[in-house]
Amino acid sequence: MSFLQVLQDFFEDLRREGVPVTPSQAADCCRALLLVDWTMEDYFYTSLYTTLVKEYGHQAAFKSVYRRHFQPGSRGEMSRQERPGAPDRVRRPIENTSTYAGDALPVHGMQSLRGGLSQGRRNPLDQPFSLASLDDVRKMETLFPVIAKRLAARMIKKNRKNDRCAIDYRSTMRQSMSTGGVLLNVVTFQKKKEKPVIVALCDISGSVMTFSCFALALLASMQRFFRQLRTFAFIEEVDEITHLLRAGDPLTLRTSVLKNARRVMGARGYTNYGATFKGFIERYGNILSHKTSVLIFGDARNNWFNDETWALEEIKKKAKKVYWFNPEPEISWSSGDSRMLEYIRHCHKYFSCPSLSELERAIGQL
Amino acid sequence: MFVPGLGRGYLIIREREVIRESKLSLEKQTWGVNVVRECVEQIKDGMLGAGYICDDRTATILYLAEALQKPLLVEGPAGVGKTGIAQAFSRMKAVPLVRLQCYEGLDESKALYEWNYKRQLLHIQAVANRQADTHQVEQEIFSEQYLLRRPLLQAISSPTPTVLLIDEIDKVDFEFEAMLLELLSEFQMTIPEMGTIKASNIPYVFLTSNATRELSEALKRRCLYLYLDYPGIALEEQILRLKVPGISELLAEKVAAVAHRIRQVELKKPPSIAESIDWASALLQLGLDDLDADTTLETLNVFIKHREDMEKLERTIRSRQDLSFQTPPVTGYR
Ligand SMILES: Nc1ncnc2c1ncn2[C@@H]1O[C@H](COP(=O)(O)OP(=O)(O)OP(=O)(O)O)[C@@H](O)[C@H]1O
Ligand SMILES: [Mg+2]
Repeated sequence: MSFLQVLQDFFEDLRREGVPVTPSQAADCCRALLLVDWTMEDYFYTSLYTTLVKEYGHQAAFKSVYRRHFQPGSRGEMSRQERPGAPDRVRRPIENTSTYAGDALPVHGMQSLRGGLSQGRRNPLDQPFSLASLDDVRKMETLFPVIAKRLAARMIKKNRKNDRCAIDYRSTMRQSMSTGGVLLNVVTFQKKKEKPVIVALCDISGSVMTFSCFALALLASMQRFFRQLRTFAFIEEVDEITHLLRAGDPLTLRTSVLKNARRVMGARGYTNYGATFKGFIERYGNILSHKTSVLIFGDARNNWFNDETWALEEIKKKAKKVYWFNPEPEISWSSGDSRMLEYIRHCHKYFSCPSLSELERAIGQL
Repeated sequence: MFVPGLGRGYLIIREREVIRESKLSLEKQTWGVNVVRECVEQIKDGMLGAGYICDDRTATILYLAEALQKPLLVEGPAGVGKTGIAQAFSRMKAVPLVRLQCYEGLDESKALYEWNYKRQLLHIQAVANRQADTHQVEQEIFSEQYLLRRPLLQAISSPTPTVLLIDEIDKVDFEFEAMLLELLSEFQMTIPEMGTIKASNIPYVFLTSNATRELSEALKRRCLYLYLDYPGIALEEQILRLKVPGISELLAEKVAAVAHRIRQVELKKPPSIAESIDWASALLQLGLDDLDADTTLETLNVFIKHREDMEKLERTIRSRQDLSFQTPPVTGYR
């Protein structure tokens, strides 16, 4: 196994884990290795790290791939005796490759997602939330930032269109009076920066468990792009969780929200949309304005509690837009305790999104 | 999905080429361990002399950034010394620091250059009376004299090397970032009225980010990366002893240890190094030489800025009467 091959395999594996390594980064990495004595593990590690990792979120993946490739059994340091000789000195458990890349353990990341497709299996993106397991969430973890970035780019582009600012002749002329009619300052209208202001309400009850895991992970990613995104969770009551989404691993967000935002459980812990909307208007009504878009994630299954549709109507009146994302297919909206058909009368738009790809498409349409 | 615009096949072929080229020289590599270690040690010493303590990893990355002539992107939570590292680097190199502080709405006229319109207009007024040749007037008003040099132009046109610090890059919008990208790859810029200016000395570039927004892939690719986290106890102790003259070993050690433990508690805003420096100075001013639960409670307001955090910590300390903060550690980005 040549050094070239060792590095290349390493890059490939990083990509598979969702760390995008471009050819120019690969080249930088090699140039950096030239500049240090890479038989010293510290230097070797640091050179790879600083040229290949470009954001905090990739650090963990980088470390685990590194350990797998260069620290078999985590023995750590490369032994000094191996130093003189061919560049294969940086060792790698070639013989062991199959134990992790083979069939024994699942390969994570995007590669496996696409692999799954070609093998005729269902693309996890299209898999219904009702069937998805926590393991699927883990597999898609790397996708959330990508999706969030795509959505962010789209929303920002939309807002660019009306970004032009025109000359305010009146103020310009008035100002020039003080300089004897010379136009020293050209006054333009204030540049209107229509940043999307978003409020998300997310049902985190048991009936939408997987869906809410995805929604929270996606919202957490989106919070990194929109500083004006506030997230609220509810079951029986509603509580703000924006700060909770800043920390932690997307997989455990729902658990951490349940643990830290106890208030959402209310007295009995049954999902209550009516109480949620009412409580939201009462406690947070003032954060809504004509610029706010409200996104609601949930199945509208209200446990036969009071609808309080007036509260949703109130939210609609105060906000710019109200959108609802329901993980159930439209046919079940009229069944059982689902109040969806009532509630959608008070939304501007609503979507049925039984899978992640539909959820992304729906959010993208906003 | 993650390799924008490129087929994988192409990517691999390109990469083979690139690595093969470097591989030849990798085999011929003649650097001894000692040469590199010496360079890294020199950087550590130099930075220490400039008032900044680097661990081996940070020093190695600084060494690589300089050797590869690449900008260094420094990320991390607030107050861990991102700005400080660039400032210290400029002191170490004894070259001027040119700082561009980014903010929302920062545009080229504030970052690159601007014509001094007012003076230009006054000049036109002045010559308006004597029937001057318009062409000549134009040349006059678009000359050096009327040019306002903003940080980026300053750094590029400087006759001596500089350290260019682009602070909090995550505050600017995508368009501005694209402009920066071009600048950082070419190190030249064009002023339509004056022509192209190319840097005679490529500046040492530092970019810092609090990661409030993700930066573009292209920009990240141009840079080397350094993630600064809250320091370990030993490192923070060293920093305290450097930054708080007169502090006793014991107090520095205690403050560092307590700060470390407080950061494990889930807080809205964990205290930064800047805050532990303030805290240690305050304790020193009060003539204290040791730290126990009571003194911590009394001086906590120097250290913790958020009211809710303060209440939470007070409760924890009161209930235990010690400073062990036995809550499970939190992981991830804080
Ligand atoms: N390794 C270090 N050695 C010496 N001083 C340090 C070190 N790290 C941090 N400091 C000190 O901590 C303080 C805060 O650092 P600085 O302002 O650079 O943080 P920052 O990361 O830029 O913060 P912000 O995100 O708020 O801009 C400074 O006084 C700096 O001198
Ligand atoms: Mg700073």
